[in-house]
Amino acid sequence: MKFFCATIGLTLSISETVVSKLILEGRKHYPKEYGGILVGRYSDDSKACIVEDTILPQNHKSSRYAFERGKEGLAQKLSELYEQTPRLIYIGEWHTHPDSAPFPSATDKQAMLQIANDNGVTIASPVLLILGLNSTSYTLGAYLQFQNQLIRYEQQD
Amino acid sequence: MATDKTKHLKCVLDSHKIQKEQALLDKHITKKDEIKAALKEEYGSKMYEPFNSGSYAKHTAINTKFDFDLVAPYKRDAFDTLKEMYNAVHDFLHKKYSDEATVKKQKVSIGLEFFADEDGHVVKVDVVPGRELNQDQYKDDNNINLYVHSQLGTIPEGSERLKTNPKAQISNVKDHAEKESVRHDIKLLKIWKVQNGKKPKSFFLELITIKAFDKKDITGDLWDKLKAVLEFIRDEVKTISLPDPGNSNNDVADTLTDVEKSDLSDDMKYMLERIEENSDNIKLYFKVNPDHPCEDKMEENKYNVKREGVSAPPATRFG
Ligand SMILES: [Zn+2]
Repeated sequence: MKFFCATIGLTLSISETVVSKLILEGRKHYPKEYGGILVGRYSDDSKACIVEDTILPQNHKSSRYAFERGKEGLAQKLSELYEQTPRLIYIGEWHTHPDSAPFPSATDKQAMLQIANDNGVTIASPVLLILGLNSTSYTLGAYLQFQNQLIRYEQQD
Repeated sequence: MATDKTKHLKCVLDSHKIQKEQALLDKHITKKDEIKAALKEEYGSKMYEPFNSGSYAKHTAINTKFDFDLVAPYKRDAFDTLKEMYNAVHDFLHKKYSDEATVKKQKVSIGLEFFADEDGHVVKVDVVPGRELNQDQYKDDNNINLYVHSQLGTIPEGSERLKTNPKAQISNVKDHAEKESVRHDIKLLKIWKVQNGKKPKSFFLELITIKAFDKKDITGDLWDKLKAVLEFIRDEVKTISLPDPGNSNNDVADTLTDVEKSDLSDDMKYMLERIEENSDNIKLYFKVNPDHPCEDKMEENKYNVKREGVSAPPATRFG
């Protein structure tokens, strides 16, 4: 799946395999929220972001309306991916919205702003994927934290 | 289609950044240094160190008009009269540069406009001769007298003893222009002046902008602030006094005649009305420098990293 953000000119690509994995993991926890972090890479011109995989959290708390991703083991895992070839880096977050639309809540917006400004995070513009899930279908919303705003990408295909 | 006025003005300012004409800027600096060296060689101990007092020195320059003014301060005993000084400096520059530049007498300066070089670049430097009031006094206070060669607003031709202090003028404008909104509005007014062939000297526009910011509470975005300054000029220019920071007895407002002030007030009035009527009209008064069109900001957008290395994302709560 390819996303494009026309207002800022950046693209986001995510393979069907990864999307399937997010749906599968999301469904396991349905109707509670669930999520994890996204790993991938940027193109040489830094205009494209490619999501390669997800890392699921070792610890989390969740309910129908909230998801708290823990950080245990994430830094270790990201170090390993950083050292491998090709290098994969942390590029953002994902979580589900059970039985609701994939629009970011106020908590989500606040969370992305904090991540972008966190000293431990080396990228400036983390991605947020929200997976709206019900018992039969899904919708994916993709967002980018860019210059203090959370901007929505448009799906291209 | 309505125009986003602030976005347009940002683009206008951006296209007029002096860094976008670095080669031309470098040539101006080189020529200015060359003229300075020539004057020092010719006049030796009869003069003090010449210095640049133009917009570039005041941080208010735009790339379509660099305003390089080279002040040449002479000792009291170098010339009997200011007129003699002015003519001697003109004759020297004419003799030295007339085969590579047009050298002409202006209001208080001598203008050198060098013929276009192979890049089509034209370098302009104005030399402003001045003489200290009393022997050796310049060292203490930097005051000099200028010669008014041709009528300057209400100051008649041939006036002797237009006393001023170019160093105080530079630092006054430079200090105020440290504030970004003042600097931006000064530059926009200069762009308007150059593009529309208007009268006021840059120094006049600098001082009236500074005064507008002093007198009014000017806030908002780039257009809001420019609008406030344009309104101030419209309402106040006919009666305003603009004391010269180099000599409070001089009124820089006197560099325009009453008719010129009235025209300036009308210019502001019509401009504000037409932009109010239709925001697209802002493009008639403030044009982007076509040599440096604004790259769409999109070109600059990137997935940036704050630093190299591995991220350790914090525990985070989503809703
Ligand atoms: Zn959410």
